[in-house]
Amino acid sequence: MNKKVIIFGIIVAIVGIGILGSYSFSPNETVNLDMGRTHGDVSTAMGSPILGDPSAPITIVEFGDYQCHACYNWFHTHKPVIYENYIATGKANLIFIDLAFLGRDSPIAAQASYCAEDQGMYWEYHDLLYNSQESQIDNGWANSERLKAFAFNLGLEMTLFESCLDSDKYSKRVQYNVSEAKKHGARATPTFIIVGPDNQQEQFQGGQPYTTFKQIMDNMI
Amino acid sequence: MLIGLLYLSEFLFFDPFIAGHIPVGTEFGFSLIVILSGLSGLVLPMNVYRINILKNSKGKIGGSVFGSFIGAAAGACSCGPIGFAIISTFGSVGATSMAFLTNYEIPIRLAAIGLLALTYYTTVKSLKIECKLKPQ
Repeated sequence: MNKKVIIFGIIVAIVGIGILGSYSFSPNETVNLDMGRTHGDVSTAMGSPILGDPSAPITIVEFGDYQCHACYNWFHTHKPVIYENYIATGKANLIFIDLAFLGRDSPIAAQASYCAEDQGMYWEYHDLLYNSQESQIDNGWANSERLKAFAFNLGLEMTLFESCLDSDKYSKRVQYNVSEAKKHGARATPTFIIVGPDNQQEQFQGGQPYTTFKQIMDNMI
Repeated sequence: MLIGLLYLSEFLFFDPFIAGHIPVGTEFGFSLIVILSGLSGLVLPMNVYRINILKNSKGKIGGSVFGSFIGAAAGACSCGPIGFAIISTFGSVGATSMAFLTNYEIPIRLAAIGLLALTYYTTVKSLKIECKLKPQ
């Protein structure tokens, strides 16, 4: 009888520890990477989460760098209008893929964005980086300490964020994205690939004005 | 030169459509490109004339070519295809030099304009002397 109670107690304890363990580690593993995710012939599996309606007929793939001034200008000048007219209305969605090449802080900033994604705040962190970009490359605005400060300002759980960033958890993911960008001929940031409903693609480089996007996307719909 | 610099600095695009824009905050940089191109357009032909027609010294063309080249180099956005090619080829050395050109874009362009203005002044002065008709 005593033996049965002990065995039962051990089983309950193991199950309890398992449940507690999975609960306490879950924030670290909330990312559901769909390794087969592609848009047109671009593998977007390791890129950002989708901004907007995943079933939108058009996908805008942006290859960018957080230290790139042209990306900054596009983010502030043209992206809001595209968001308002195409992404918010469900006509298009957007995926950001890192082409982090401009300086030593570029890949770290890209990794930090995925550490924020672990806590469900990718796009908030992405926006904060572009809102905080300074005019000089590698002047320290995107070093490890500042990236942690940005995470703190967003209210992220700092122990998780710091361990993620310090461990280079997403180093390979960023490298994969850079190689994917190069594979598709991206030779400048930002470079865009607009994928239409029938998988037709239009690729161009530079932070081009809203009218260019409108003309391409209206032809695709 | 103006079109080339506007393209390199992402004020002008040719593909997939011809489009141009001046993002907010880049107006000063745009003005410097226009001034730089205008001065290069003045100074370079004047010096070529001095060398070809008057067979005069080649000293001053150095300043105008140097000024134009430096100004143009500062205008090439490091995130553009030229910057990408340099950084891909030369690695961290290329990244550092492109970062320098980007970070000090405005002072470099101002210095290039200053150099071109000085070359223009000295060229005009010497042309006035060299082209002066001698009394018969």
